[in-house]
Amino acid sequence: MTLPIWKSEWIVARRRKRLLVLNVVIPLTLVAPIAFSAAPSAHAAAVFTVLFVLFGTFGSSIPLIRDGESGLLARYALAGAHPGGLILQRVLASAALDILELTPSIALIVVARGASPAQVAMLLLTFGAALLTANLLGAWAAAVARSVAEGALFSVVSALLLLHIGGTFRSPTPGTWGAAAEGWVPFHPLHDALLAATGGPSTIGPASELLLPGLMLLGGLLVTGGLGRYFTVHSRA
Amino acid sequence: MFQARDLGYTYPSGRVGVQGVSLKAGAGERVVAMGPNGSGKSTLLRLVSTALPSRPGTLVLFGERQVSRETRRRLGVVQDEPVHVDALTGMENAGLFGELYGLSPKRASASLIGLFVAFGLEQVRDVPVAEYSYGMKRKLLLVEALAHEPELLVLDEPALALDPPSQAVLLGILEERSRAGACTLVATNEPALAQRLATRVVFLSEGELVAQGTTAELLENLHGTTRIEIRFTGETPDEVKLDGVAVTLLPDRIVAESRSGVEVLPRLTEAVLGAGSQITRVEVCEPDLADVFTQITGLDMRGDKEGRAEE
Repeated sequence: MTLPIWKSEWIVARRRKRLLVLNVVIPLTLVAPIAFSAAPSAHAAAVFTVLFVLFGTFGSSIPLIRDGESGLLARYALAGAHPGGLILQRVLASAALDILELTPSIALIVVARGASPAQVAMLLLTFGAALLTANLLGAWAAAVARSVAEGALFSVVSALLLLHIGGTFRSPTPGTWGAAAEGWVPFHPLHDALLAATGGPSTIGPASELLLPGLMLLGGLLVTGGLGRYFTVHSRA
Repeated sequence: MFQARDLGYTYPSGRVGVQGVSLKAGAGERVVAMGPNGSGKSTLLRLVSTALPSRPGTLVLFGERQVSRETRRRLGVVQDEPVHVDALTGMENAGLFGELYGLSPKRASASLIGLFVAFGLEQVRDVPVAEYSYGMKRKLLLVEALAHEPELLVLDEPALALDPPSQAVLLGILEERSRAGACTLVATNEPALAQRLATRVVFLSEGELVAQGTTAELLENLHGTTRIEIRFTGETPDEVKLDGVAVTLLPDRIVAESRSGVEVLPRLTEAVLGAGSQITRVEVCEPDLADVFTQITGLDMRGDKEGRAEE
């Protein structure tokens, strides 16, 4: 199986070296002062989670909108690319690039806060899943947006809403619908892992609690693959 | 290859792209759609290339109504705008589209190298497309559309921005593909290109198909005149009288509108030379498909305004 879109995304990323460097350096400059400060873990984890999630949603939505507007996505589809496969290749490549670009920031947090190996393992797992989710969310924002500005707005609003539901900004009272919904949001495990890695308490218990957000992520991938043609048709028509 | 029945499309703004267009073409045919800007040529090509859904109407491609990935891979499409991945080189772009069309990298490479050479792009094939000129990007579109040897070529203004050698190459390739059985649908408002290329011409005006036929058939029904202009230095002839020819005498040239073609040219030149003048330039403008269009619609194909037939 060839993955021409995936391959081309990596070639383009390698060629845009300046952007690559900026995407590594800017998160580091935002993460470093907080990671090395005495900021409470609840605050630090919330800031890091928001930063990583928005990095993922924007990184996916803006290029997709731009390529939709230029007619490139429609050209891919006209050349016989499966629309769902095309969007998934873009999302997976974008998420993989985000993971690479943000790994130095994660490493900095781990070093600065002295996270344990178990915490690091959980952090890496949830970090990858959250970035994939964020990129999917960006693709969905791009699908309904009719301009880059709309895409940015939809990305921010949807990401912040999900972060809120996922418990990033508050602790829901046990037994409420908020507490139940929290467990379904794929950003919740990342927030929890960051909370633990920065010296705070972890609310995630057994690994089985990763099942719900994992299922949500899988469902998101399947829906995106199935509805791909709605992502490739933009206002140029 | 394709059969369109009552094709229609209205844009979200309410502007009618095309309506009630029925058209079919088989293997080896080269159909050229002509008309002024906004006449529906590009919309028709977008419908046939499946870029737009026909509402209403039906389109049958290769005997099938359902558009599938496999159907699209049998098409070679050049749209009006040259869209590429600008950070990739010309060869990388062409390879990417080759793969999407289902070509193996080995077969794509062999086919692409030949086309890059043919269109004069071999020197820039490893240069990012961001650095290409508009004409180069148009050529690259053609390379990408032709590489997988599609059965149906749908080309919107394929000669736009091409230099004359590349236009000749394009015409040669299209004729060769046609002999091999490929069907071609081209949109243009260039009469010379249409006359050279078309096995059938269809005229579109305000979204509707207003006439079609071979170039010879369409020109045969044209009651046009050949315009002959002879420029000279020296004395203007006193009088030039020829049957069926309207002659206008001006200080530096004579202009003749002839219903019998260029037959009158020797007598016109004799008249100028007889007056002791020296001929500096002779221009002959034969009636072409643009004149046929004007005769049928009253519109000027090149300017979408009232044409000579109305004057």
